[in-house]
Amino acid sequence: MTVKVRFFARFRELLGTDISVEPENGTTLTDLVRGIAKKNREGCDAIFDPEGNFHKFVILMRNGKRVELRDAGSTVVSEGDEIAVFPPVAGG
Amino acid sequence: MLSEHELERYGRQILLFGKKGQEKLKGSEIFIAGAGGLGSPVSIYLAVAGIGTLTIVDNDTVDRSNLNRQILHYDRDIGKEKTASAEEKLSQINPDITVKVINKTIDETNVLQLVGKTDGIVDAMDNYPSRYLLNKAAIKKKIPLFHGAIRGFHGQATTIIPGKTPCLACIFPSATPKEVFHVIGATAGLIAMVQATEVLKYIIKDGNLLTGRLFIWDGLEAHAEEIKVEKDPRCTACGLGKTASSERRRE
Repeated sequence: MTVKVRFFARFRELLGTDISVEPENGTTLTDLVRGIAKKNREGCDAIFDPEGNFHKFVILMRNGKRVELRDAGSTVVSEGDEIAVFPPVAGG
Repeated sequence: MLSEHELERYGRQILLFGKKGQEKLKGSEIFIAGAGGLGSPVSIYLAVAGIGTLTIVDNDTVDRSNLNRQILHYDRDIGKEKTASAEEKLSQINPDITVKVINKTIDETNVLQLVGKTDGIVDAMDNYPSRYLLNKAAIKKKIPLFHGAIRGFHGQATTIIPGKTPCLACIFPSATPKEVFHVIGATAGLIAMVQATEVLKYIIKDGNLLTGRLFIWDGLEAHAEEIKVEKDPRCTACGLGKTASSERRRE
């Protein structure tokens, strides 16, 4: 199974984007993103809190549909999914 | 009515949307929250387009480190109130419009009064707590909010029409921690131009507004895309969560 993960803004600066991964069946959205983010400490800290949960401000989308953060740990990814992960950009 | 002088000044855009469109711009009033990176180019382009009244709010003074992006302010303005600097430049750029400035920090107690009766609110703030105040004011007064934000080579924008589109808190329910953000002036300029174009379209009623869509710009990749955004029925600013959170406050 192939899934594409797209990071935006600060997350993209730290982790790159359009990352193709081949997760095992049953992988959740949280595990998927954590698996990629842990390659870069700063990237991981930008997205996850010290307990390993998504920071409250993180926006998650799966195939263009918002996924609530509280559901990310129980949402299993499927073949061809496109996952978008982004922070609100704040400057002005 | 437009004067001979105005017909000449705005001739090239009157070709685009007619005297009627220009009169609409002249009769409109836009509130710009912030005279910084986004507020500078937004106000300049709305001024030259002939928006009748621009109200600009900011409580900051010009710092040398602002000058890489805040193009309303010049080297000689360092230490001056941004509002005074903005008023001076904008009235020189277009003496035919009215520029009002308010040297205040927008807060919960004054936001409704400061926004007043306006046709649109431009979000040119640099933090989410202030943006949420503008969002609430926009919802309460049913005034469109033209959102923009920047960081580094990245930016985002969307147009919020209260009651019709998702509000800012539907899209971004939680703020990122405050930081000194890195940025280039060109990113501010690009996002500000999206906002200014939206304001003009809204007033002359042309085209498709950037509603229900978040425009996302990546300058490093020279790539723009948009993400569909939806109303959150439980939103604390415009949805069911609104009553829930005021209930909680009462408790």
